[in-house]
Amino acid sequence: MMLLTCPWCGPRNSTEFRFGGESHPRPRPDAATPEEWRDYLYFATNPRGWSRETWYHGSGCRRYFAIERHTETNEHRAIDERRAAEARR
Amino acid sequence: MSDPNTPTPNAPTPIARSPIAPINPRVENGWEVSDARSTAALTIADETPLAKVAVRAPFAGAIAGLLGVGFGRAARGPASLQADGLPEALVVGSGPGEWLVLAAPGTSPAVRQRLEALIAGTGEFASVVDLTHGRALMRLRGEDSPAMLAKVCAIDLSDDVVGNGAAFRSSVARLVTDIVRDDCFDARSAGAARGDGVRSYLLHCERSSGQYLFDALLDAGAEFGIEVTGSVRAAG
Ligand SMILES: [Zn+2]
Repeated sequence: MMLLTCPWCGPRNSTEFRFGGESHPRPRPDAATPEEWRDYLYFATNPRGWSRETWYHGSGCRRYFAIERHTETNEHRAIDERRAAEARR
Repeated sequence: MSDPNTPTPNAPTPIARSPIAPINPRVENGWEVSDARSTAALTIADETPLAKVAVRAPFAGAIAGLLGVGFGRAARGPASLQADGLPEALVVGSGPGEWLVLAAPGTSPAVRQRLEALIAGTGEFASVVDLTHGRALMRLRGEDSPAMLAKVCAIDLSDDVVGNGAAFRSSVARLVTDIVRDDCFDARSAGAARGDGVRSYLLHCERSSGQYLFDALLDAGAEFGIEVTGSVRAAG
C-alpha cells in the first residue's frame, strides 16, 4: 500500500486518489504556437527524480491539489510555491 | 368521471422508504422503518429517515463561524438553528467548505429554511441542498465497532486520530463514505454515569449504495455478533 498525503485529509491509501499528471505552467493561449500547445497537452517530462504533479482526492475531500513526488522513491512533499517560482525563472 | 387533478379524499399519505430493506416494517414520521429491537453489544441501525441538509460555503467565512464546526469535526448545535424550536441538529464538517446538518426525521424543510435565512444574513455565496432522500445513513454502535470497521476501512480509528466528534470521508468497503464518530450517552450505555459513552459511528453514503454498505457492514460484523436494530434515537 502506498500512502499519499493529502493537504486536507492527511495520509491516505493511494487508491483514494486519481493521478492528474505532471503539472507545468500553461502557455499563453494567444501567443503559443501549435507545437507549444501540443507539448503542453500531450508530452510529459517523466523524470527520474522530483516531479510536480496534480492529484485528485476523489474518495476524500474531492479536491485537486499539487505535490512534488520523487518518482523513484515515492517520497512526496507539499509544494513550496516560492521555490517553485524560483525554479521556473 | 372524476377529475384526475382532484385529490381523492382518502388518498394514502405518501410513505418514504430507505434504500435499506426494513425488518418488520412499520411507519413512523412518514418513513417505513424497522421494528427490530436488539440489545446485542454491537448493533447497526438504519438512520436514513434523519433530515440531511448539505451546506457549501467559504471555508473560513461568516457561515463557517455560524455553523460552529470546521472540516473534520462534528458537534450538536448551533444555538441559532434551535432558536425557532427546531430539534437538536448534528452539524458535520464533512469537507473543506462543506457541511452536513442532521436533524430529526421530517424536519428537513424547516432545517433548510432556517439555514437559508442564516446564510442570507451573511451575504456570502453559499448553497443549501436537502439530501434527505438522496443519501443513506446508518449507525454502528458498540465497543467492537472500531475493530469491525478496521476490516473495511484503512483509517486509524484510535482515540488520538478519530476521537468522539471527529468526522472524515474515506473508503469503506471500497465505497466513498462520510464517517462521524458520535458516541452514545443514553441510559443503555454502561459508562453513561461516568461520562463516557458507547462507541458509535454514523456512516453516510449515496442512496444507491445504501443497501450494499449495510450488507457489507453486517458481513464484517458477523464475527462480533452484530445485530440489526431500529433507530437508536427512538430506542434511547
Ligand atoms: Zn483529501
